[in-house]
Amino acid sequence: MKTNSVERKYVMPGDVVIEGDHNPIANVIKSGNKIISTKIGMAEIAYNGVRVIPLNGTYIPRMDDVVIGKVADMNGFAWEVDINSWFFGILTGSAVFGRQFSSARDSMKSQFDKGECLIAKILSFDRTRDPLISVSGPGLGKIKEGEIAYITSSKIPRVIGKKGAMIKLIEENTGCHMTIGQNGAILLKGTDEARTKARNAIKLIGNQAHTSDLNDKVISLISK
Amino acid sequence: MPAVKKHRIVDSITRESIISNLANSTRLDERGLLDYRNLEIETNILKDKTNGSARVKLGESEVWAGIKVETANPFPDTPAEGVMTCNAEMLPICSQYIEPGPPDENTIELSRVSDRGIRESGMIDIKELCIKEGERVYSVYIDVAVINEDGNLFDAVSYAATTALLMADMNKFTIENDEVKMLDEKQPLPIKSVPVSTTFAKIEDKIIIDPNADEQEMATARVTLVTDENGKYVSGQKGKPGGFTFDELKEISVISKEKGDEIRVKIREAVKNGS
Amino acid sequence: MSKNNIERISGRAPDELRNVSIKAGVIKNADGSALIEFGKNKIMAAVFGPKEVHPKHMMISDRAIIKCRYHMMPFSTDTRKRPNISRREIEISKVIREALQPAILMEDYPRTAIEIYIEVLQSDGGSRCAAINAASTALADAGINMRDLVTACAAGKVDGQVVLDVDDTEDKTGEADMPIALLPNTGLITLFQLDGNLSKEEFDKALELAKTGCDKLYKLQRDALSEKYFDGKNGNKEE
Repeated sequence: MKTNSVERKYVMPGDVVIEGDHNPIANVIKSGNKIISTKIGMAEIAYNGVRVIPLNGTYIPRMDDVVIGKVADMNGFAWEVDINSWFFGILTGSAVFGRQFSSARDSMKSQFDKGECLIAKILSFDRTRDPLISVSGPGLGKIKEGEIAYITSSKIPRVIGKKGAMIKLIEENTGCHMTIGQNGAILLKGTDEARTKARNAIKLIGNQAHTSDLNDKVISLISK
Repeated sequence: MPAVKKHRIVDSITRESIISNLANSTRLDERGLLDYRNLEIETNILKDKTNGSARVKLGESEVWAGIKVETANPFPDTPAEGVMTCNAEMLPICSQYIEPGPPDENTIELSRVSDRGIRESGMIDIKELCIKEGERVYSVYIDVAVINEDGNLFDAVSYAATTALLMADMNKFTIENDEVKMLDEKQPLPIKSVPVSTTFAKIEDKIIIDPNADEQEMATARVTLVTDENGKYVSGQKGKPGGFTFDELKEISVISKEKGDEIRVKIREAVKNGS
Repeated sequence: MSKNNIERISGRAPDELRNVSIKAGVIKNADGSALIEFGKNKIMAAVFGPKEVHPKHMMISDRAIIKCRYHMMPFSTDTRKRPNISRREIEISKVIREALQPAILMEDYPRTAIEIYIEVLQSDGGSRCAAINAASTALADAGINMRDLVTACAAGKVDGQVVLDVDDTEDKTGEADMPIALLPNTGLITLFQLDGNLSKEEFDKALELAKTGCDKLYKLQRDALSEKYFDGKNGNKEE
């Protein structure tokens, strides 16, 4: 069926993905009659437009994304959190302590100290200011145990899989519990063995994200 | 890349992992407390423009050393001695924490410690670097570029500089009618000994060798000790704002000689294969 | 190619490039990196960014600032060079930055800095062109949005003959050196320098020759990226 057919190909910056009147969706620019890739990745040409799924690049914060970060610094009124992006995520003191927050009275360190890891949500991000994050909400807050594995953020969808198929596959076959940060950080909880298996699966996905039979490859790796 | 603060921060989870592993005498990369990371030595990496060169990869720390031998006027107070300078540069390419510009105190310390490791050990016999007393001597320049930083640059730089010096050659000179003439013939540098550097770090009360970047960041104290093949201790430097006990330092000195000998074998092997 | 076909000091044909190899992703700590061996040149390029701007007042609200530093190691040249940055290196840093900037979609990264560091480990003529080839590969490796790669090559005149890719020895006795850089898919020339003495005919010929050099180098850049990202398959695979 025409609407479901997607043409795919590997592209690099400057490559013409397709010519003609197509809708540029992501990581492409329109130049005259041509749609040109701006990244290294997999171009997808579908009925609704053209996009390139990049194989590299830093995480760009989006509202409501769950991210995993570490506190890099703090000043009188906010924590600066390294969320593996161009800017630090800002967690304001008032978001944590409440409206009556005063840096004189409430100790920032007692809540989150430098180096501590947390699961947060992006509250807002636009071109004019640093991303604001929040740790209020179910599943958010300080990370007390586990291990963090990293992958290029654009490959996170492959770790999740279609409707969560891949993450389910890994969790069921390794016994490891995974919390996914859209910024490319994944929290692994479980026994040493479970985490090692999950870590290896993530590494494999990172190396093979551009190939098609990823499911089989992952199954064959973790079933050993 | 993450927006960057001035220096590396080891996150709490990694920190706890490192400490709990140390309690079991292991490290995150599965090494023992006194195991070095994988050491790769490649010689003649810059053979077209240097008198000697080497590339060293210690774990993920990578450095390239190049030797240039030129001639110069001797210093007035040492008219029959050659000149030697050693300069290690942490280049901005090696880490997000290095800014371009004048070297900071860490870079300067690295450079000066590397220099002393070679100079004070007497590795190069500078008396043999005299061409014409009072007029012309050899000037040996050792420059080391840090390409990727992952802890323990002191040792990586030392191994690269030592290997490059062992591989190096220089033109012979002769004096004809009181004039200095360069010959085409070459000779190796006058090497008297082979110093090998070893670096230790202290995390809580555990002593580890060859710290990687995270371990180095967490360490309260660090010490570099250089030994030569005669079992002599020729250079040392303690860094980081913590301390070692007398017993710790004595034990470190014993291990330093052992490990130094092991690494010297690898350096000699690389030189032999490269010649 | 030329009527005279004088044998070059280097033994190469007038339109022959030196041996070149490019490898992407060679510095673990960098966001993007590349090593180029171009004849005897050995040059590393690393890209960090997009990242916060320091000092803050240099930030631009609607686009990235591009910082570029070209530096030669003391052991890279025939005579040992002092470690401090020279005026020559500062000028080359500028022309390289201006060669790469047109390819970068700076408006995609407001309020950030993109830093490009180039280290010349061994130099033998044509290092700025080699540096540009490495740097643009490193930019693509870092995932910086670009409208095209940037490819550079020089042509010159040696012994009265217009030739491609002048090395250090040829440069010392040659009559002209013309490095250029371009965006290979649009043909836009973003680096152009000329030292020497060329007639109109020679000028045109040198430009054409330099372009053929760029074509060959563009393929090598693609190979380097393809090697790292697509397991060596060509950058136009249909799946």
